[in-house]
Amino acid sequence: MKLIVNGSEFDVDVPDDVPLLWVLREELGMTGTKFGCGKAVCGACTVHVDGRARRSCSYPVGDVGDREVTTIEGLGDGDTLHVVQQAWLEENVPQCGYCQTGQIMQAVVLLQARPEPTDDEIDAAMSASLCRCGTYTRIRAAIKRAARMLSDATDAEVRR
Amino acid sequence: MTMDRREFLQVSVVASGALVLGVSFAGCSGAQRQMRRVAEESGDFRPNMFLTITPDDRILVDVEKSEMGQGILTSHAMLVAEELGVDPDRVEASSADSEKQYQTSYGLQMTGGSTSAVESYVPVRKAAAAAREMLVAAAAAQWGVSSTECETSDGLVRHQNGERQFRFGELTRAAAEVPIPDDPPIKDVEEFEVVGTSARRTDGLEKVDGSAIFGIDVDVPNKVCALCIHPPVFGAEPVSFDADEALSMRGVIDVIAIDSGVAVVADKYWQARRAAPTVKVEWNEPLMTGLSSDQVRAAAADAARKVGREQYGDGDVDVIDERDDLTVVEAEYTGPYLAHATMSPQNCTVHVRDDGVEAWAPTQAPTIVQEALARAVGVSRGDVLVHVPLLGGGFGRRAVPDVAVEAALISKAVDRPVQLIWSREDDTKGGYYRPINHNALRGAVDESGDVVAWRYHNVSQSIVPDVGRPLAAVFPEWLPMRSRAIKTETLFGLMLSGSLPEIVAMEGALPPYHIDNIRLEYTPIRTPVPVAFWRAVGHSYNGFVVESFVDELAHAAEADPYQFRRKMLGNEPELREVLDLAAEAGDWGEPLPEGFGRGIAAYESFDTPVAQVIEAGLIDGEIVLRRIVCVVNCGIALNPDIVRAQMEGGIIYGLSAALRQKVTFDGGRVNQGNFDDYPMMTMQDTPEIEVHIVESDDDPTGVGEPGLPPAAAALANAIYDAAGIRLRDMPFEDALAEIRGDE
Repeated sequence: MKLIVNGSEFDVDVPDDVPLLWVLREELGMTGTKFGCGKAVCGACTVHVDGRARRSCSYPVGDVGDREVTTIEGLGDGDTLHVVQQAWLEENVPQCGYCQTGQIMQAVVLLQARPEPTDDEIDAAMSASLCRCGTYTRIRAAIKRAARMLSDATDAEVRR
Repeated sequence: MTMDRREFLQVSVVASGALVLGVSFAGCSGAQRQMRRVAEESGDFRPNMFLTITPDDRILVDVEKSEMGQGILTSHAMLVAEELGVDPDRVEASSADSEKQYQTSYGLQMTGGSTSAVESYVPVRKAAAAAREMLVAAAAAQWGVSSTECETSDGLVRHQNGERQFRFGELTRAAAEVPIPDDPPIKDVEEFEVVGTSARRTDGLEKVDGSAIFGIDVDVPNKVCALCIHPPVFGAEPVSFDADEALSMRGVIDVIAIDSGVAVVADKYWQARRAAPTVKVEWNEPLMTGLSSDQVRAAAADAARKVGREQYGDGDVDVIDERDDLTVVEAEYTGPYLAHATMSPQNCTVHVRDDGVEAWAPTQAPTIVQEALARAVGVSRGDVLVHVPLLGGGFGRRAVPDVAVEAALISKAVDRPVQLIWSREDDTKGGYYRPINHNALRGAVDESGDVVAWRYHNVSQSIVPDVGRPLAAVFPEWLPMRSRAIKTETLFGLMLSGSLPEIVAMEGALPPYHIDNIRLEYTPIRTPVPVAFWRAVGHSYNGFVVESFVDELAHAAEADPYQFRRKMLGNEPELREVLDLAAEAGDWGEPLPEGFGRGIAAYESFDTPVAQVIEAGLIDGEIVLRRIVCVVNCGIALNPDIVRAQMEGGIIYGLSAALRQKVTFDGGRVNQGNFDDYPMMTMQDTPEIEVHIVESDDDPTGVGEPGLPPAAAALANAIYDAAGIRLRDMPFEDALAEIRGDE
């Protein structure tokens, strides 16, 4: 079947019911998307499917169709990190780091829907993304920082 | 055998904590020859086991500790940068392979006991300082000047007249001809420019762009993937299996029985996952059949109410019953089995070849993996090479080599490199839990509000028999290392008397408070449930017990819980200092919104005193955390932001357990399987956490674990303050439900 991932088209030969997670990791070699629970309860495998956050461990690849998949590998622009990734670095968020790519993918979608999220909105959007190292306060701070960076960028755009 | 207070504390620290070994760089001629050979072959300058400088000016650090989130790659890079006089961003730190020379932690190459920074603070700087001295000597010789006229900065050796300079990379071959200095001078604390700053994590970028290679991401040529179907009951072995359907499925290479289960091997992991449900396995009946955790709990409760074996005695606790002027307080605290629930399920990649074994193991203990694999496949330990990719969480679970052994057995059977990945359910049900414990306390306060007596009986399953099995293999090296740190007689006495289990179970059990009459007792529980290290180990429950019970005594004395502790800490100035600072930063005594209370706790583990003030309440019957303040004295904070992160993480790990985690089993079957029935704290549950670090120039002490032990007590104490409900049984959310049901 055909699969559009990070703007490129791939041809993969897998049964429809294989979770997207394993197709990304094993067929396309994109290992930034992580296996945590296998039943959509931890968020480590979060990717975007047509701009929506999806748990790829429980998303059959056959359901993707012609929707566009974005993974952590395709989030930035070439060598330039996405603003959310930059904010993550500034706040020194990762510890073991295993859940963080999924956290970032979730946060990007939140900020697209809510460019200036309140604490409650952040908590509501992020509380299904688990972190065993306990980086939650830093994730919250990084999302706020990313929101500020995005709004500064927009302001600059408007001024220009 | 009863020890005095000093001995008890010494032994407790050694049982869990750090042992700093001097690393000798100098001068055996072998080291010198080896260095020269490396330089001749590659041009690289590698004066010792930590450091390599290449002709193109790369500065590489081999990190003998496993990176599992604690930031050891970053702190090694900072220590090297400090002594070489370069920006830490220029230093590339990566995990070292297994090597005998890295066996510096109890004689093992091992990451645990909050020892990462403790053990590297001096040796890594010495390693870099040696390189610096040699680079300078090489440059000075070429210029025909004295070394004292030269200095290093920004990756250059400069002559003081400012006209001549060499890049480090230009000096690698010449430096390798310089004798390795025996004891190179390292900077004093006041000269530090890098250490003590919150430099950004060196592994940050790869962890946000997805390129970081964890164990599960390892790829090697010709690799196949496997999962292992594990028995429903601990310890059961497969008797027979039917894999006809699985073997006909696409990609499936083989289905084989090993001791611990039935492995499904396929080209891709997704193929193994699809095939596994079609395999029918018959299991034998193991010891655990029929055993339930409720039975273990009941037996532990029974035992706790009897007299245990004395571990420590001072004065006479019988005064509790002999005097009639005392207020007597009795309490029992309990904790369940706990899984580690690392975010990355257990996994390992192993290739068993004719000439040896190569493993890519996300492990905390490469030496233990070496030994376990050597035994599993019948080679010598020296024939096992372990590479250490990033660990997706450790917390003690990854000190156990079980998953590596499975991968090796499968690789041996299929004669290919095998990547074994456990499911989340395998991980949760796979054992090596934090031990179940039941703790009975009796204490008394007199009319002036002083604590007269304290008796503590800990009943818990000891981790020593389980973790002892892999450790036994390395005991010959392990023992002498330990004996250097404590009196030899004491150590061997402990070993011979079988007291090691008590030491691990009782670490932190001795209250830091000045109390005349104290008795500590221990009774082991023996069950076939596999148990092991879990973040903070014995401190994980002793912190809760000691800091909850002292709070109960304070309330019995109608005293302020902070002042009550404070007046008994005259001999513990460091603990008293963090207590004072936490009370101040935590607004102790200030008003709070309706329904909320404050709890305080102060506790030292792994040589690091930590105090916390937690604001929490019962809102609509649910525990709500409002604010957490933490003060830590860890000696010099190599990277304050990483210290803060470790405190935050330890607190959340501890509160996750306190609030809602438990592993239970019925009929020998573990009831929990995934994050939905073994839940952790989420962002929604997490309030702001303020961490304050006491300024200090002392050598660093551990930070990976010490944030955890006081947290559960501070929370329980806050709930008592808020609602008058004393939470003594973990997890608290279950205890609350029970209390509500009783009403």
